[in-house]
Amino acid sequence: MDGVFVIKGKLQEIYAQHSIVFDKGAQFIVALLAFYQINNNVGFMKVAASPVVTLALSVICTFFPVIITVIAATALILVHMYAVSIGIFVVTAVVFLIMYIFYFRLTPKMALIVLLMPVAFVFQIPFAVPLSYALVSTPVSMAAVVCGTIVHFMMEYVKKAAPGITGKGFSGIMAQSSEYLKKVFQNKEMWIIIAAFLIAFLVAYTIRRQSVNHAWKLAAAAGAIINVVVNIIGDIVLGVHTSYTSLAAGSIVAVVAGLVLELMFFAVDYTKSENLQYEDDEYYYYVKAIPKLSVAKPEKMVKRINGRRETEIMDTEAVRNRRYDRDGHGERDGARSSVRKVSEHSKGSSRMR
Amino acid sequence: MLDERKVKLMTKLALYEHTQGKEDFKISEYYRKDYAGMHIFSSIIWVTIGYVCVAALIVLVGFDALMEGMSNSLMLMLLMIFVVGYFGVVVIYAVISSHIYNQKHKEARMRVKKYNHDLTRLLKWYEREKK
Repeated sequence: MDGVFVIKGKLQEIYAQHSIVFDKGAQFIVALLAFYQINNNVGFMKVAASPVVTLALSVICTFFPVIITVIAATALILVHMYAVSIGIFVVTAVVFLIMYIFYFRLTPKMALIVLLMPVAFVFQIPFAVPLSYALVSTPVSMAAVVCGTIVHFMMEYVKKAAPGITGKGFSGIMAQSSEYLKKVFQNKEMWIIIAAFLIAFLVAYTIRRQSVNHAWKLAAAAGAIINVVVNIIGDIVLGVHTSYTSLAAGSIVAVVAGLVLELMFFAVDYTKSENLQYEDDEYYYYVKAIPKLSVAKPEKMVKRINGRRETEIMDTEAVRNRRYDRDGHGERDGARSSVRKVSEHSKGSSRMR
Repeated sequence: MLDERKVKLMTKLALYEHTQGKEDFKISEYYRKDYAGMHIFSSIIWVTIGYVCVAALIVLVGFDALMEGMSNSLMLMLLMIFVVGYFGVVVIYAVISSHIYNQKHKEARMRVKKYNHDLTRLLKWYEREKK
């Protein structure tokens, strides 16, 4: 487990050094996926649905704030809806306007969820978004989850029904619009999914805020179970048939996403938690203190195999004396002893000559 | 010679000016009541548009059923529901907007105060250097 935290630390370091690259990279990927899934599902206007336009839009949106990506995605959906029918275009525009007026005008940062929800539906992991926001955000994001789900079902209806949408003149357009609204907002599957997301969100959020040990893990698991249970009950009661395999797989992926989020944002050491109790004049306080988990970065030990040997420093004076002795003028050991002395004296400075 | 503390303070000030500061300076030009009042008023206008849109969509969905059983009493009742619903939604959104924009103004003012405090500190440093 320590290894995981060391990797996390390294990732944080890398992110801190190149945060702009990572942020813009993530923004580009989200924009590309969002535009791709829009063009793949409701790409009825061929020019706007081409890969070049998708890529160009994604690149352009990368250099602007996230809200521009949301506005561009909305515009792209409306362009495709216009290609299908003017009635469907007007109804979709009005639905987007209502979403903006009642919600996104007040919390524009949440608009990103509306982009993420349809993308998550494409990957069969829609529950990953509400669960992630239940762990890191507040219930304010629930409305955005609902809006995102509605947008997905609107696109899904148009994708399926577009070839059969006919009718000209005012009455034809009115009939198309009415049918579109009925099919989308009377879709039982959509309301079951929304109910499951909302209940699971509230359960996960409530558990996450408790002071129990491993609250995040419990919240993720409980949220996933509630999501599956509500979906199954809804299916049985309302007679809707959803794929339980993808539901279970999506919930498992959501739990894994929750665990990753816990690792990144809430790494604590429950074994060292402390429960304190004290009081002042007005209150009794029950405090649970859990230390944040921090793993020391392992230090690298460099062992030199071919280490530099100490250079013997010779005393030129002693050599001269030795030569003089060899010629028969004095003591033989004089030079050797002086060499040893100099060598001992120079220990610790390998560069001395 | 470079003073590290001064450089840090200047960076902090410049960063604030280029990010949150832009909006905060605009917000702090207003008194809190004026700022919140202005936004509550715009919220009411937006909510009126939104409410009409929702009503239009509901009528569109149930137009046929509505026309079949239409009578004067039903029309009057629907009108009553429409008006009461409108005032209910307007009051709710006015309360929410009031809370959000009051809070926004309060936070912006606090940040601007801190910015001014840091700016004064920087000016004092400069004055000391001149002496």
